[in-house]
Amino acid sequence: MAAVLTDETLVHAKQVTKVYHTGEVDTYALRGIDLEVKAGDFLAIVGPSGSGKTTLLNLIGALDNITDGTLEVLGSDVSRMSRRQRADLRLHALGFIFQAYNLFPVLTAQENVQFVLELQGVNNERGRRAREVLDRLGLGEYANRRPPQMSGGQQQRVAVARAVASKPRLVLADEPTANLDGENAGILLDMMRDLNENQHTTFIFSTHDPRVVAYARRVVTLVDGQVAKDIVKESDAHDAG
Amino acid sequence: MKLGTVALKYAARSLTRHTRRTVISMAGVGVGCAMALIALSWMSGAFEMQIRAIAESGAGHLMVVHRDWEKTRENTLRLTDWQETLEAVRAHPGIRACSARARANGLLAFGNRSAGAQIMAVLPEDEFEVSRIISRSRMEGHYLEDEEIGAVVIGKALARRLNVELDDDLYASLTGKDDIHSAMLRIAGIIDTGSQDLDLTICHVTVATMESIIGAAGAGEISILLKEQSELASVQKSLGALMTGDNTVVSWREVQPALSAGMDGDVALMRLLTAIVITVVALGIASAQLTAVLERRTEFAVLSALGMKGSQITGMVLIESLIIGIGGALIALTLGGLAAWYLATEGINLAYFVEDFTGPSDILLDPYIYGSFGPWLIKYALSISIIATVVASLYPAWKASHIAPAEALRTQ
Repeated sequence: MAAVLTDETLVHAKQVTKVYHTGEVDTYALRGIDLEVKAGDFLAIVGPSGSGKTTLLNLIGALDNITDGTLEVLGSDVSRMSRRQRADLRLHALGFIFQAYNLFPVLTAQENVQFVLELQGVNNERGRRAREVLDRLGLGEYANRRPPQMSGGQQQRVAVARAVASKPRLVLADEPTANLDGENAGILLDMMRDLNENQHTTFIFSTHDPRVVAYARRVVTLVDGQVAKDIVKESDAHDAG
Repeated sequence: MKLGTVALKYAARSLTRHTRRTVISMAGVGVGCAMALIALSWMSGAFEMQIRAIAESGAGHLMVVHRDWEKTRENTLRLTDWQETLEAVRAHPGIRACSARARANGLLAFGNRSAGAQIMAVLPEDEFEVSRIISRSRMEGHYLEDEEIGAVVIGKALARRLNVELDDDLYASLTGKDDIHSAMLRIAGIIDTGSQDLDLTICHVTVATMESIIGAAGAGEISILLKEQSELASVQKSLGALMTGDNTVVSWREVQPALSAGMDGDVALMRLLTAIVITVVALGIASAQLTAVLERRTEFAVLSALGMKGSQITGMVLIESLIIGIGGALIALTLGGLAAWYLATEGINLAYFVEDFTGPSDILLDPYIYGSFGPWLIKYALSISIIATVVASLYPAWKASHIAPAEALRTQ
C-alpha cells in the first residue's frame, strides 16, 4: 500500500539555480531546476556525481541559499528567511538522514533521538517518545548504546529514528544506503517505506543506489544541474490518482 | 538560548573525546591561574606588610597634623589643643596605639664634631607602642622615660659620626619658631636599627625636654596605628569629625606620597604581569577550543541541520569552556592555594636577598614577607579561570555557530 499523495505541495522549485563561487571561478551546480513535491511522495533524485543531487537536497533543507529562482518549502520562500527562521523550519518540519549517519558519538542512541525532541521543547515526554520511536523501528535493544558500539546499519536506523522522531513533514536523505550492505539497505528502505505509508512522511532521497530507485515511486534524474527525467512509476501514478 | 539536559550532557561528554587535550587545557588554565593567585597572594601580603612597615616606622596609618602641613611640610607647625586631641584619638575604638610628637631642626655637637639632625620630641611610652624603630632595634643604654629631661637617644651611626658614647653630653642647638635655643643633652641610649641610613636620622628627646629648651613645644603630629588596616578610610573619616582648630587627619599616603606612588606602581606592574599570564593562558585556550571546533565542523553542521539555533550552539561551546574553567579553577586552587598557604605561614626570608631592611624614606621593613591566604582565593580562582576560559572561547563559539552547514557536510 503506497501513501496517498495529496494536493498539498511541500516543495515548489522554480528555475532554481545554484552557483558556487571559488575565487574567480563560477561553478554551476544547478541550472534552472523546476520541481514540485507533493505531501506523501517517496522520491529519489538520481544522477551521476556532480549532477547537483546533494545541492538540491541542501537547498530544499534550507541548509544553503539559492543563487537564482524561487524555492518554496512548506509554503515559505526559503530565500527570504533569516538564519533563525531556517533553523525553525528545519527543527519543526524537516528531518535529515546523512550518508555518514552523523550521529553524535558521545550520546546514546536514545539521547541522539531525544536531542531533536529537546530542541523542539518537548519536556516530560521526550524520553518516552524517543524510546517509542526506537522500539517501533526495532532498535529498542540499542537504546543505551553509543554509535561507536553499533554497526553501520544500526547507526543508520538510529539516524532514521532521529530524523522522524519529531514527526517532520518532509525527510531529506542524502545517499542513505551508500555505506550499507544489501541486507541493511533493505531493512532501512522497508523502514522508510513503512513510515511513508503509515505516517505519511514525505521522503526525498539523493542516491546512486539502484535498490533505492527500486523502492521509490518517483524518480527525478539530474544531469549537469538540470532535470533530465521525472518519472512517476505506473502503480504509484494510479495511487496518486 | 535554552539548553536541555541532553544538550548539557552532549557538551560535558564532548570533553571526554580527547581526554588528554581536555586535561591539558584544564592544567593550562589551572597553572596560569595558580601563578596569578600566587602573585596576588604575594602582592596582597607584601602590600599589607609595606603599609604596616610604613605606619610603624613613624608615619602611622593615620596622622593628625596641622592643616598647612601637607603643603609646607614645615615642622614648626603645631596642633591645636594637642593633649585633648591625643586623648580623643586614644579613645577611638579603632585605634591600636597613638603617639604625639614635636620636631625641630637642630645641630648636635661633641668636641670638634657636629652633625645636623631633626630632633624629635616624643612621649616615650606611647612612642614605644607606635614605632618599630624603637621597639625592634638593639638598644645600648635605655630608651627615654616619660618626663625624663635632658636626655637624648640617638642612632648608632650618628653616635659614630659624632664619636660619642653613652652618658656623653651633646651640645644641641634647636631652631624654635622665632629663635635658636641651646642645651646640653646626655646620651641615655644609642639605637642600632641595623641600617646606617636610618640610624643617622634618629635623635629623640622627651616632649618635656623639648619644652625645657624652646619653651612651650606643643606637638606637631599625632601618629596613629589602627587595629585593622582595612578600616583606614572609615576611621579617618570618624576621626576627622573629632578634629578642632587647624587639626586634620591624613593617611600614610599623604605622609609618604612617594612611597604610596611607588607601591601603586608595584601593584600595577604585578597586575600587568598577572594579566599577561592570564592572556597567554586565554590565547592557549582559544587555540585549543578553536581546534576542537574546527575538528567538529560536521557535528556543528548536523546540529544546525537538526534545527539548533546559533545561540544554542554558542551556549554549548561555552558550557564546555565553563567546565574546563571549573576544572582549571580546582587545579589552580590546589596549586595556588598550597603555595599561598606556604607564603602565608612560612613567608619568604628576605635576608637571603637583601642585607639592609631599610626601605626608602627611612622605613624599617620586615625581614620576612608573608603572603595573603583566605577565602578570597576561591573567589579569585573561580572568577579568573572561568572568565578567562569563557572569554577565550567566545570566538571559537561564534565560529561554531556560524559554520555553513551545507559546506561542512559536503566536505566531511
